[in-house]
This record gives sequence, structure tokens and C-alpha cells, in this order.
Amino acid sequence: MTGPAAVRPAPPAARRPEPLKPVSRSISQVGIALTVAFAILAGGAGFWQVFQSEELSTAPDNPAVIAAARNVIRGEIVDRDGTVLAMNKTDSNGDPYRLYADRVVAPVVGYASRRYGTAGLERSYGAALTGLNDPDPIRNLLRKFQADPYDPQTLTLSLSLPLQRAAVRGLGADKGAVVMLDPRTGEVLALASTPIYDASAIANPDTQEAGFAAVRDNRDEPLLTRATQGQYVPGSVFKIVTAIAGVGSGSIDANTTFEEQPQAERDGLVVNGFRIREHAGVPARTLDLAAATEVSSNIWFALAGLRTGGDNLSEYAGRMGFGEPLPFDLPTKRSQVTKGDGSAPGGFVDDTELANASYGQARTLVTPLQMALVAATVANDGQLMTPHLVTAMTGKQGTRTIDPRRLERVISPDQAAQIKAAMVRAVEGDLGRQFTSGAKVRGVTTAGKSGTAELGGEGAPHSWFIGFAPAENPTIAIAVLVERGGRGGERAAPLAGSLMSTYFEMFGR
Amino acid sequence: MDGYVLTIWLVRILFLALLYLFLFGVVRTLVRDLRAAAREPGTELGRLVVVASPAGEPAQGTSIGLDAITTLGRDVNNAVVVDDQFASAQHAVLTFRGRTWYVEDLASTNGTFVNGVPVEGVSPLGYGDELQLGQVRMRLERPRR
Amino acid sequence: MTAATPALPGIFAGFRPRPRWREFQLLAIAAVAILVGSISLGLARQEPELGIENGFSFAEPVHLVIYLGVLFGVHAAQVLTGRRTDQVLLPAVALLGGISLLLMERLPQDLVVQRFFGSALGLAEVQLIWLCLALTLAGTIAIVVRSDLWLRQYKYTWAAAGVALLILTFFLGTEVNGQRLTLSFGPVSGQPSELLKVILVVFLAGYLSENRPLLVEESTRLGPFAIPPLPYLAPMVAMWAIALGIVVVQRDLGAALLFFGVFLLLIYAATGRFGYVVLGVAMFLLGAFVMYQLVPHVRTRVDVWLDPFATPQSSGYQIIQALYAFGRGGLLGSGLGGGLPTVGGGQPGGIPEVHTDFPLAALGEELGLIGVLAILGIYLVVIERGLRIAASAGDDFRSLLAAGLALVVGVQAFIIAAGNLKLIPLTGITLPFISYGGSSLLVNGIVVGLLLALSDKGVEPPPPPKPPGRIRRLAGKVIR
Repeated sequence: MTGPAAVRPAPPAARRPEPLKPVSRSISQVGIALTVAFAILAGGAGFWQVFQSEELSTAPDNPAVIAAARNVIRGEIVDRDGTVLAMNKTDSNGDPYRLYADRVVAPVVGYASRRYGTAGLERSYGAALTGLNDPDPIRNLLRKFQADPYDPQTLTLSLSLPLQRAAVRGLGADKGAVVMLDPRTGEVLALASTPIYDASAIANPDTQEAGFAAVRDNRDEPLLTRATQGQYVPGSVFKIVTAIAGVGSGSIDANTTFEEQPQAERDGLVVNGFRIREHAGVPARTLDLAAATEVSSNIWFALAGLRTGGDNLSEYAGRMGFGEPLPFDLPTKRSQVTKGDGSAPGGFVDDTELANASYGQARTLVTPLQMALVAATVANDGQLMTPHLVTAMTGKQGTRTIDPRRLERVISPDQAAQIKAAMVRAVEGDLGRQFTSGAKVRGVTTAGKSGTAELGGEGAPHSWFIGFAPAENPTIAIAVLVERGGRGGERAAPLAGSLMSTYFEMFGR
Repeated sequence: MDGYVLTIWLVRILFLALLYLFLFGVVRTLVRDLRAAAREPGTELGRLVVVASPAGEPAQGTSIGLDAITTLGRDVNNAVVVDDQFASAQHAVLTFRGRTWYVEDLASTNGTFVNGVPVEGVSPLGYGDELQLGQVRMRLERPRR
Repeated sequence: MTAATPALPGIFAGFRPRPRWREFQLLAIAAVAILVGSISLGLARQEPELGIENGFSFAEPVHLVIYLGVLFGVHAAQVLTGRRTDQVLLPAVALLGGISLLLMERLPQDLVVQRFFGSALGLAEVQLIWLCLALTLAGTIAIVVRSDLWLRQYKYTWAAAGVALLILTFFLGTEVNGQRLTLSFGPVSGQPSELLKVILVVFLAGYLSENRPLLVEESTRLGPFAIPPLPYLAPMVAMWAIALGIVVVQRDLGAALLFFGVFLLLIYAATGRFGYVVLGVAMFLLGAFVMYQLVPHVRTRVDVWLDPFATPQSSGYQIIQALYAFGRGGLLGSGLGGGLPTVGGGQPGGIPEVHTDFPLAALGEELGLIGVLAILGIYLVVIERGLRIAASAGDDFRSLLAAGLALVVGVQAFIIAAGNLKLIPLTGITLPFISYGGSSLLVNGIVVGLLLALSDKGVEPPPPPKPPGRIRRLAGKVIR
């Protein structure tokens, strides 16, 4: 065999050829490489079996959870007054099944069926309800050594069944959603979503096929919990988000006015060659924050949004939960200020989109729960509490309460006060009353903002209202959406007013 | 916690413990091997690794353990037989004196080279140096432990 | 194994028994572990609620006796023939095999049913037979093989046989689960790619040890990397093409990954040149990218890997169920037999193909993280032991052969374990010594047998690559 190595005998080349390393050295390097590779495997196993273990082993689709749910008697679900919302019955074979107190809680509680799986809290809290997972981590670890490892937990909700009933009744035959929560704690008192459905029929083994088929084949999609998963154009209620971003970032304050605004109210505002027109009923005079909120000036908020900038708008919306699914006891869809695929700051395409988004009409989509949080942020002096439904879990070992947690400090109390004043004027002011007729709670200072989401084409707009009361010391925040309900002031605002009245009748001021 | 559950978990944990006992046993064996290797007096003092050998004897890549006196050449009576047309019958001798290797050219026809330099008389040889006899090139390496 | 062993001095000539205490000790620990595992499984099968409780009992004691009998038989044979082979490899492999047996006994027995002389054998019984055959094969090779000439001299013949096997599978293979892997001759069927990996290693060891100096030579520089003379890159390109061919024709991602991975590591071991690895990885990435764009099943695999929860009921189902199993296991596991009763098979809630593709997930559920780490540790022992044999082998061929054999086991275990753990896309190769499957077990038996044979310092020194006749001149001089 000849190759470059076969040189003439002597004298050898002056350059010393590179010595051939013994294979044993590179083999031991290969050994080190494989050891590292196996260490990575160990890390992977640790990730799934320790860090992700609980999440995986309590996932609703985990066969162990499904298998346990078949035999285990689930814990009950009760409302804030102790009224049982979900209870157990036994069939002719002695196997347990679920019965629900009222259809109005179906969007919250969901169902647990042997054949069709679970939905709602029955799904997201399946592991706790079946007792597959102990909330106490130490006991959870020792659980496998016990003969009877299951400790089903009873869930206590912050939900109020009477208030929930009132909300569903108020929505009536319309499709829509109501979210009412305590801004100080994040506790949700009502989470209505229509149409409702008969969860008991799905859970009962005798009627499950028909019960599920009725829901599945309904074109109004009752299984879509509109309050948490419906994504809607917000219309003017989004102006509160713009105000929060503007005031929070220091771009505007309560006294901000725009020189070009009065003229633009008549002629429209030209942004990048696109003309934004005002809706009817806005006077052509100089407006400040409160006045612009009162008359719901699109031009003023477009200008405010442009001054605030897309990055600030996205940033402050993000602090309130936009852009990600909300941390909540039920699955939520994300709300968006913009699609986020544009190259301008904040993910906007250009200033035209930003200007339109600032009054809630571009590619902005929100869930009713998200808008309730916007109202709650202002109500709670700029501090947003994590929304939650489950306030306590009770098992054999006693009760574990779930305390309120702060989600985010969005703006300062001073800044919140400026927006609060504007929202009070939108309900209580002379002109504001025309837009938000009926939202006012008798004898209580009420703050709010109505919205009319133009959808283009034929048909009525979505009717929106967000607000809170009493303005001095808010105890209840609300978001109402009625699909195709007409103007915000006509449908959503009166419903919100009557529901807040009901709340004060029940819980006092 | 009843007796059955207690028993079965003791057995389960014992099983896992035995897996680790096994691994522990293996590690102990490895450590013992290393210690034994360290204690064992090295029988070889160095090695020659064949870097190039056009005629194939000694084979390229072969590693040859060395005695304190190792003769090299074409003759079959040499400790290392270098079957190369440019090598002499008694070509060179490697000797280990004290702590160092030395190479001596035995008046070969074509000479002996260390790192390309001809050897005259006795020349010290370090580990990693390259020795050339005829067309055969070999490198001196530390003994294996 | 009937290939020529010309230099065999006679198996029975002059052997004298030599005790192997370390192997015995380790085997004893392994045996006790397997016995305890069996008790654990037996206990889990009782149902105290129903009053069925009969104290300690082994699950399938007959299987246990047979397996341990074969194990100690192989040990005794090595003692009697006085071979001085490695004493750690066999116990480590035996423990893995024992875990496999326990797992197969625990899984639903109807996952595999083979008719054998009129009687139907279930999963554990079939696996037991293959395990025993594999161990026997390993022991036999370790004792009988005393020369590597039959591998060394005929490397191109072996390569040709391998390519022939590959082509045969390409054209005549039967498709199972969309993969063209199985080759049948009458009643005998097997997966040639398992055997192919050993042939590949034999060829590479021969080729690389012969051309080592040339491959180290650098003629071209590509940026910071020294590239060897271009003609010597041909085998790398050929290997790459073969791997891609396996992906496209056989749809066997795992084998392709295994072959290319072993090839790269071996070429690094032979040359110590990092440039080869860089070049190889670059070629791999290029190939992977093209495959992803062009070959639908590759794209499916990768997409499922990236987001299995996008298709939880179809293509993502298997890996999701495996992750659930790992999660259920947690730190300590549910104990053998204590996992979800429906694990495995087509049953709802089970991991499809758990016995071949996902044994690690099942073990993760029942033995927990602690058990998985132990199993990974045992694999590491096998690998490090193999590489140690390689590092202290007589010459380059033996070194590279032993390293290649160890790598075949190690890389394969890594690929499938990483697939199970969703660290890389899932591929359908077996977990060595644990997965169900005759071809896999037998070939891994051959691997262990060859490693043991290579570890014996007492055998004849490696011969020079010349006809016999000159051997005598060098005997005793080369390698002591």
C-alpha cells in the first residue's frame, strides 16, 4: 500500500510529521462524550419525573385520572353560601355519577361523564375532586404508602348561585357573557355564559348520549365558555386600556388635550392617509380625558394612542394579561391588542392600526374575563388581583384555603384615580348618561364605560359594558358582553346596572 | 398503613436498592482494578508505536512493548524485526539506562534518525520522539499501566 | 459463527479452570435483585381487598429458575474453560435482561403470541427464550473465538454481505407499521438492520485501522478545520448516503441515526480529528433538513416531537401516554406491577408498542426516577467497560472493533431512551437487552460475546496483516 506516508528512505523530510495519537486517548474522549449524553438523559428523566410529574400525573387526559374518576366518589362543589352545585348519585350498579344543582353553573362547573370525559372545573380540578392529588406536597409524596390513597376534595367556590342566576336570566335568549368579580381579591362571583346547557344530562349514564348530542349538535356552541374563551372585538370599552397605557406611561394625564382634535371631530383624522371618522354625537370642542371618555371620542383616543405609542400600549395591556392565556381556574383564550406580526413598535403594522386599536376597532380581540380584569385594575387602585373561582379545598385532612394573590401592579393609585374619575363621568356625567343609560346603580357612585363593537357588514354590533361600584371604594367589578346586542348603552349597560344593584341588595354596600 | 402495603413497599424499595448495590459493586471493582494496576510493577519500560511501515512488517499501528535492551534490524533474531529493504541486519539498539532511553546506531548502511536527525554514536531518546530505520518510522511512548 | 477460526489451538486443549469471583459476586447481586423484583411483582398481583393473599410468592418462578440457570451456566462455562475475559460485562447485561424479563411478565401477555409446536407462548415466555439464547450465544462466542482473523481479513467480504443484506431488505422486506425492516425466509424472520450494525462496525474497524495514518493526514484547510485528503472522505459520503437510503426506503430513522452516530464516533476514535465530527454533523444537519422537507414520515416524526399535544388522539398519542407514564412514576415509581393496569397494547390508556418502543416509559412508571437512573447507570457500565476493553486492546483493529461494539450498544440505548423522554424525535429502534425482540437480543448477544472475547489478554496476539507463516517471527515480541 502506498500513500503520502511512503517517503524515500533517507534522509527523511525536515518537517516532523504530526504524531499519530494513540486510539486509547480518543476512545476515552468518546467515553466522556457518551457519559455526558447519558447525564442529559438523566436530566430529561428528572425533568419529567420530578418537575413535570405532578402536572402530568394529574392531567385530565391521563388514563390514571380517567380510571380513578370511574370508581372514586368525587368531592362536591359548593358556592360561597354553601349551596351544593355538584353532587353525587349512584346508579343501579352502585357506581357514582354527577348531578348538578342548576344549569346556570354549567359554564363554570362543567360536567364529569363516564363516556364523554370532563369539562369546566370538573376537568381542571379533576385531580383534586377525585383526590388523586393531595394539595399538601408532603402528604402527596407519602400517599402511595397508604392503603386507601384517595382523598377527594370538596371545592368551595367564590361564585354566588343567586347572582349567577340573575346574570343568566339577564342575558336571556341572547348569546353573551357576564363576569362579576371582587376587585380587591380577584374572587369571581358570577361567570355567566349563554347559552347554558344541561350538564346533568351528560353526566347521567342513562341520558348521556342524548345529553351530549344535544350540546354537540347545537350551533350556538354552548360548550364554548364565552366569558373565558370567546374572543370579541371590544369597541369603546378598550379605550380604558388605552387610557391606562397612556396615563401609566406618562404620555397623557387627566388634563391632556389635543390641538387638532376639535377640527378632526368634524372632518376626520387622517393617519397615514387613512381617515378616521367620529361617530355621531361627539361635540366638536376641546376634550380632556374625562370629557373624551364621557362622550366616547374616537378621535381623542386615537390621538392619545398615537402619543402613547404601540410599545407602551402593548406593554400595559400585557401587564393586565393580554397576549397570554390568563391564569385562571378555567381554560382561557388569550386577548390581543394586535396580532403582533407588524414591524411597528408593539407589533402593530403601522400608525393607522395603532390609531384604530386605541379605540378598539382594529385587530384587537378580547375575552369578557379580560375586560373585567381591566375594570378591576382601575377599581383596585391600579393593582390587579389574580382572578379565581376556587377559594377552598376540603378533604379528610381538613381545609386548605386559597388566598388572594396579586397578579400585577399595573399603574399607581394616583394614575388609577384619574381614570376612575373619567369612568365615573362616563356613567354619572350629563352627556355620559346618554351613552350608558341604565348602568347607574341607584344611590351608588357608579363608574364604567360602554362599548359598541362594529363588526362590519349586516347585523347589530356587539354590546359591551365594563364598570365597577361604588366608585369611592369599589367592591364589585363587572364586564358584560351581549353578542349582536346593539349599542352598548342599550343592552349591556342596563344589564350591568341591574346586576350590580342585585349584588348590593345581596351583599350590602 | 396496613401490613400488606408496608410489605410490598419494603420489597419495592429493596429492589431499587439492590440495583444500586449492583452499581456500587461495579464501581468497587473498577476502583480495585485501578489500584491493582497502580501496584503492579510495570513489566514494560516503554513502547514503540509503528507510524509508517511500507513493507508491512512491523505492521503499521502496531505497538511494541520494550525490554531494557531492545535490538532492531532485519535479522529475525532481533527483538524488533524491521523487514525493510533499507534496514540493516543489525541496525540499532535501544537501551534503558536509569530513567532515560538511548538509541545507538549499529553502523547501519542507511543510518538511524531521531526526529529526522541522524544518530551519531549514542543519542538520548525522549517519549514522543520519532525513530526512523530505513523507511520504517516508529514513535517511542510511555509504558502502559 | 461457523466462520473459520484458523488459529484456534483447540478449545479443549490445555484449558484449566480459573475462578471468576468478581463476576460471581456481581452475578449474585443481580440474581438477588431479580428475585426481589419477582417477589415485588408477585405481591402486586395479589388483591388484599378480595382476600387473595398468599404471602411471598414469585411471579412465574419457572421463568426465573430457567433464566438464572442459563446465567450461571454461562458463568460456569467461562470458569471451566479458564478464559480471562472481562468480569463486569456479563453481570451488567444479565441484570438488564432480568429487568426485561420482569417487565415482560408484568405487561399483558397477549401483546405477543407465538405458536410453537402446538403450544402458544406469551410475551414473557418468548422473551425468556430469546434472552436465554442471547446469553448462551454471548457465552459461546466468548469461549470459542480466540482469533480475530476471520473478521480482520474479510472485512470487504463482510461489507459486501452487509450491503447485500441491506439491498435484500430494500426489495424483499415486508412492511410492518410502515417500516420496511423485516426480512423473512420461510418461518424465520428477523430484522437485518440489527445484524447490519455489527457488520458495519467490523468493516469500519478494519478500514479505519488500516487507513488511520492517511485519515489523519491533512491536505486541505477549511477555515479552522483541517480536512483530510478528499479521496478519504469517500467512505463518509457513502455512509451518509446509506443512512439517507435507510431513511427513505426503510423509513427507519432509528437505524440511520444509529449507523451515522456510531460511524462518526468511531472515525473520531480512529483519527482524533474533531474536523470529521464537525463535517459529519454538518452533513447530518443538511440531510436532516432535506429529509424534513421531502419525506413526509420524517416530517411527521419531527412535528410530533415538537408538539405532540397538537395531535393528542392520533400521531401524538403514543409519546403523550409515555410522558404521562413517566409523570405518574415520579421519584419512586408505583412499584413493579403497581402501575396503570392497562399499560401497553391496544388497550385504552396504554402506550402502543410499549414492549418494543417504550420499555423505558413503563419502567419509568413502575420504578420511578430512581429506577430509571439505575438502568441508565447499568448501560453506562456496559459502555464504559466496552470502551475500556477497547483502550487496552492489542492493536488498532481490536481497539476500534471493541469501541465500535460498545458504541453500538451505547448509542442505540441513547437514541431510544432520548426518544422516550422526548429529548429527540422518537425512532423505532429497540432498547438493547430490554426491549422485546429476537433479532435485537441475539445481535446484542453477539456484541457482548465479541467484547468478552476481545477482553481476553490470554489469547494470541493480533497477527500482522500478512499470510500466516511470518507469525512466528513476531510472536512474543509484539504486545506482552
